[in-house]
Amino acid sequence: MEFLNHLAFGFGVAFSLQNLAYCFAGVALGTLIGVLPGVGPLVTIAMLFPITFHLPAVPAIIMLAGIFYGAQYGGSTTSILVNLPGETASAVTCIDGYQMARQGRAGPALATAALASFFAGCIGTLVIALAGPTLGEWALKFGAAEYTSLMLMALVASAVMTQGDAVKGLAMVVLGLIIGVVGVDVNSGMARYAFGIPELVDGIGFTVVAVGLFAVAEIVMNLESREPREVYTGKVTGLMPTARDIKDAAWPAVRGTVVGSCFGILPGTGPALSSFATYMLEKKLARDPSRFGRGAIEGVAAPEAANNAAAQTAFIPMLTLGIPASATMALMLAALTLQGIATGPQVMLEKPDLFWGLIASMWIGNCLLVVLNLPLVGLWVKLLTVPYRWLFPSIIVFCCIGNFSVNNNPFDVYLCALIGVLGYALVKLECEPAPLLLGYVLGPLLEENLRRALLLSRGDPTVFVTRPISGAFTIATVLIFIIMVVPTVRTRRRTA
Amino acid sequence: MRQPLVYRLLALMLLAVAASAALAQAPYPVKPIRFIVGFPPGGTNDIVARLVAPKMSEILGQQVVVENRGGANTAIASEMFVRLPPDGYTILMNAPGHATNPWLIKLNYDSIHDFAFVTLIAESQNLLSVHPSFPPRSVKELIAFSKKHRGEINYGSSGIGTTVHLSAELFQYMTGVKWVHVAYKGGGPGLVALLSGEVSLYFGNVPTMIRQVRAGRLRGIAVSGPERSAAAPEFPTIQESGVPGYSVTTWYGLSAPAKTPRAIVDRLNDTVVKALNSPDVRSRLRDLGANGVGNTPEQYTAFIREEIDKWGKVIKAAGIKGD
Amino acid sequence: MKPDLRSNRDFIAGLLFVVIGALAVALARDYPIGTTMRMGPGYFPTALGAILFLFGVYVLVRGLRSGEKVNGVWGARAIALIALSILLFGFLLDRAGMVPAIVVTFLVAAAAGREFRLKEAVLVAAVIAVFSVAVFSYGLKLPYPLLGSY
Repeated sequence: MEFLNHLAFGFGVAFSLQNLAYCFAGVALGTLIGVLPGVGPLVTIAMLFPITFHLPAVPAIIMLAGIFYGAQYGGSTTSILVNLPGETASAVTCIDGYQMARQGRAGPALATAALASFFAGCIGTLVIALAGPTLGEWALKFGAAEYTSLMLMALVASAVMTQGDAVKGLAMVVLGLIIGVVGVDVNSGMARYAFGIPELVDGIGFTVVAVGLFAVAEIVMNLESREPREVYTGKVTGLMPTARDIKDAAWPAVRGTVVGSCFGILPGTGPALSSFATYMLEKKLARDPSRFGRGAIEGVAAPEAANNAAAQTAFIPMLTLGIPASATMALMLAALTLQGIATGPQVMLEKPDLFWGLIASMWIGNCLLVVLNLPLVGLWVKLLTVPYRWLFPSIIVFCCIGNFSVNNNPFDVYLCALIGVLGYALVKLECEPAPLLLGYVLGPLLEENLRRALLLSRGDPTVFVTRPISGAFTIATVLIFIIMVVPTVRTRRRTA
Repeated sequence: MRQPLVYRLLALMLLAVAASAALAQAPYPVKPIRFIVGFPPGGTNDIVARLVAPKMSEILGQQVVVENRGGANTAIASEMFVRLPPDGYTILMNAPGHATNPWLIKLNYDSIHDFAFVTLIAESQNLLSVHPSFPPRSVKELIAFSKKHRGEINYGSSGIGTTVHLSAELFQYMTGVKWVHVAYKGGGPGLVALLSGEVSLYFGNVPTMIRQVRAGRLRGIAVSGPERSAAAPEFPTIQESGVPGYSVTTWYGLSAPAKTPRAIVDRLNDTVVKALNSPDVRSRLRDLGANGVGNTPEQYTAFIREEIDKWGKVIKAAGIKGD
Repeated sequence: MKPDLRSNRDFIAGLLFVVIGALAVALARDYPIGTTMRMGPGYFPTALGAILFLFGVYVLVRGLRSGEKVNGVWGARAIALIALSILLFGFLLDRAGMVPAIVVTFLVAAAAGREFRLKEAVLVAAVIAVFSVAVFSYGLKLPYPLLGSY
């Protein structure tokens, strides 16, 4: 009951004209940069940093937060329209969202993404309001062993992700794991696969991989043959999701929200892992899994809900414990620090207007985002009618700018060309890109935590089973493995 | 007619001297200045730069624009930086990485002679913090406890080669205790590890740690710098607690490419000092746990040399190998 | 390679995995491997490379047995031009400025398409350049030189 008072207070704070204006500015800007590849919330917030000095704390953080979760909305737009993930978490949306766009269903896809995100955002906000501190504490129980078994479980389950050939899918996961190895090894400080090139010492960036593997490969696939290939069906079947769509998308969105809220809290994993996880979950639960990868609306609704819920709950560690879960959060934390606000366990008590005002404004921001994005759906769909010969070079240009902007280094652009060639070869050979991305994201986390867990236990492997949370994940991993292997064994016996 | 010739020559020489003096005073800067930061946006380095740059822009009358070139703990930025023209229109933010990189990776530049060091902008310290369940409450107790439990105590860091890591290495080097290093990717995960008790010790930066300490979630022991920290005055320095000579600071400095004219170096130095004297920059730096310094180019150059030497010794002794 | 193999989808895919896997193992041989309970930096990459190699062999052999063809043709010209356009962008941005980089990249990329019309492409390239400058340089204040180097 008390929290209702807090919320009411928060809304009072958030509904001031100034705060509303900054909220809107934040989410609008966030959406825009989410659409642009490479340029993400981090760069934008860094650029706006000095401006926050001249603003009072509450509007400043409202705006910065708006940029952060607004970018998730924008990221899905490019995933659906041109198979280019704007953020790591949007990569999964490419799989089915882009196919929907090609089938003339870009409108429903975009609208579903927006609505699922809105739903998730509302629930996420509630989660923060109700259970923020408790969840923050719970996140602290996740140590190296827990992360290891969680990652292992995700990897094993990733076989579910592949649409076609399971073996090639798994090979792509392994290839992704290898690409993730490039760079400095956390546990030893040794640079691996860097060939003495300083730019590789920090690893291969996400934008480089995403652009090369998804966007470039797809564009070349569309250009390769002599006969004109219709990239997007001329026949557009309507801008809004049908009643059937909404029915199909409803439960996936709910499940996505739950998964996203849980993963977002874990400092470090966040939106990306949640979107991958829900996709795999939905595919396993679906009555007809073969629809996934061909434009199944569940494949858009669930990941979008997940990544937006995660984007909201990612604020919990920062607000309740004072721990930034990512560089972007660190920057926001610094902005608050420079306002003289000590974000830590005390912030809820010491600055309730900030805490509750922020939560309320996150909800308002989500509303604004839906209001902003739904009308834009028509605009985006119109964009797809632009002749492809104008569209694809533009995409290449924006991708190049985006890639360069990550480190202001041409090397990233050159590397992207190389990955593009490799990506095209792989896609042409019918190896799916999404599993690679999963391996790329998970690999470093898995290795880092595995070695750390063994270091902490001084070489004792039983730690993965004896610690309760880790034990649970380990058992789940074994179960998933059995579930996946057993049916194939059975079918092989039948065909033998 | 010899005298007039001599006078004419003298006049010419005077004219030449006057002309070059005038040229040296040619208005600098006439276009925006690029302030290169060797880290991606979001780190404290970047934040300090973005704090100071607007003030510098005000003072100089030209925009000072922060440009991030992250990678290899400032090595990538430095490598590109030393090849730029020494005209004062590009400046670089230095960090302790500058002093540790020569010992860890193969560099294509000379860490001392390829730079014209302008000034040390600010310094901050680390607070040796422990999980509440960890018994020692002072440096002396820590040393005794560690000697009894040699190789059993885990300490965290935000990455190999960071000041968080090296603070701990220097401590072990100077006191002879042996801890086990558990590296994390960055300060956030490192802090989580300490809060959850996964590691027992962490040399985190003062503002982050003091928040948790004052909230009772962690216990602080001592600070790493040569003098007590204004942001954490209740804690003694490690130096005064039983490890004489121990000093680790995280510092932020400014440099220009090697052959930059002295007049420009002085002008930049002057600008930073003025910026550091302005109350809002000073208070914001303090919020970040940093003290503005603003020393002379000579002092800063000497400081860099000391840092490089010191860390060389520690890195070799700890057996840290880079690439 | 026999002409058949050149269009044998799984053979090539398998070959690709085999080569990358082998390279991964070979390049990792200088990294200390350590033991399973105390892994060194070389353990994971070597293991992964080996696994990829094995997967690759499996796919390769399967390809030889099934002989399934690659769908359609290889768009060699297309990928070459697109890759070139990206490389040119990186090369030109801080040497010639953002505007020339955008225009050149656009044109080279557009040439990879089937229906390339020079005059039209130049026009659209100009539009994109103006749009990019507006959004990136003025809107987001990214500090890239518009013409020439810094």
